[in-house]
Amino acid sequence: MGHATIEWIYIGVVIAVLVYVGADAWNVERLLDVSNAPAEAEVVKVTGQQWLWTFEHEDGKKEISELHLVKGKPYRFEVTSIDVIHAFNMPDFATLIDAVPGRINTVWLVPDQSGEYLIQCREYCGFSHYQMRAKLIVEEPTGGSNVTKAAAEIPSKGVTAVSS
Amino acid sequence: MVPHSAIILFLIPVVAVFLLGVDSAFAQQSTHNYIIHRIEIWALFYRLMVVAFVIGAVVMGSIAYVVWRFRESHPKNRGDITPARAGGAQH
Repeated sequence: MGHATIEWIYIGVVIAVLVYVGADAWNVERLLDVSNAPAEAEVVKVTGQQWLWTFEHEDGKKEISELHLVKGKPYRFEVTSIDVIHAFNMPDFATLIDAVPGRINTVWLVPDQSGEYLIQCREYCGFSHYQMRAKLIVEEPTGGSNVTKAAAEIPSKGVTAVSS
Repeated sequence: MVPHSAIILFLIPVVAVFLLGVDSAFAQQSTHNYIIHRIEIWALFYRLMVVAFVIGAVVMGSIAYVVWRFRESHPKNRGDITPARAGGAQH
């Protein structure tokens, strides 16, 4: 086997790896796109302003600096801002999207773990940016809907991103 | 002699399938009714980390081999290739 063959093998492997990385990332991004959000997802309007978050549920209920969700239920967040650019971030659920004045950005999520989590601004937005935090409270479902059945299948504790 | 284009065309699916096997070995999957963002994104992260470390290991291994193989004291480098030993010009 000459040098040229080895080089062509090297080039082939590199191309294959690059194609795999690009295709895999593109596929996950497509999976998580808002167009794949479940039709039954509840819309939550999220508004950022210096320096707090407000939330409005479909039934009109409003919350300030605190958001209550139900485990296992899909939500679609319509995120905007009324002053400067913020970024709506729930790090424990790997969710991040910009809040831009005059624009509604959408992201969807199914909280699969109950408990209290952090909501924070991830785009520097002024003096108290570091204090622009809210509390995400994911509650165990109580009703008897299909959503509840789906949530019941999700383990409540000890779920991590890696398992065998 | 196998044409080079055939080597590339052969390697691309082989490596891709291998990487998919690595994926299923390392990643948790959304097994319920809904796609869970957290799981999908971290699974992607771990897959790409595996790719990055494998590439890093291959590159580092290649460098180590080249350094070892082409050192001055390697037996294959002690032939009659130097001008002095081959009776070449002395400077």
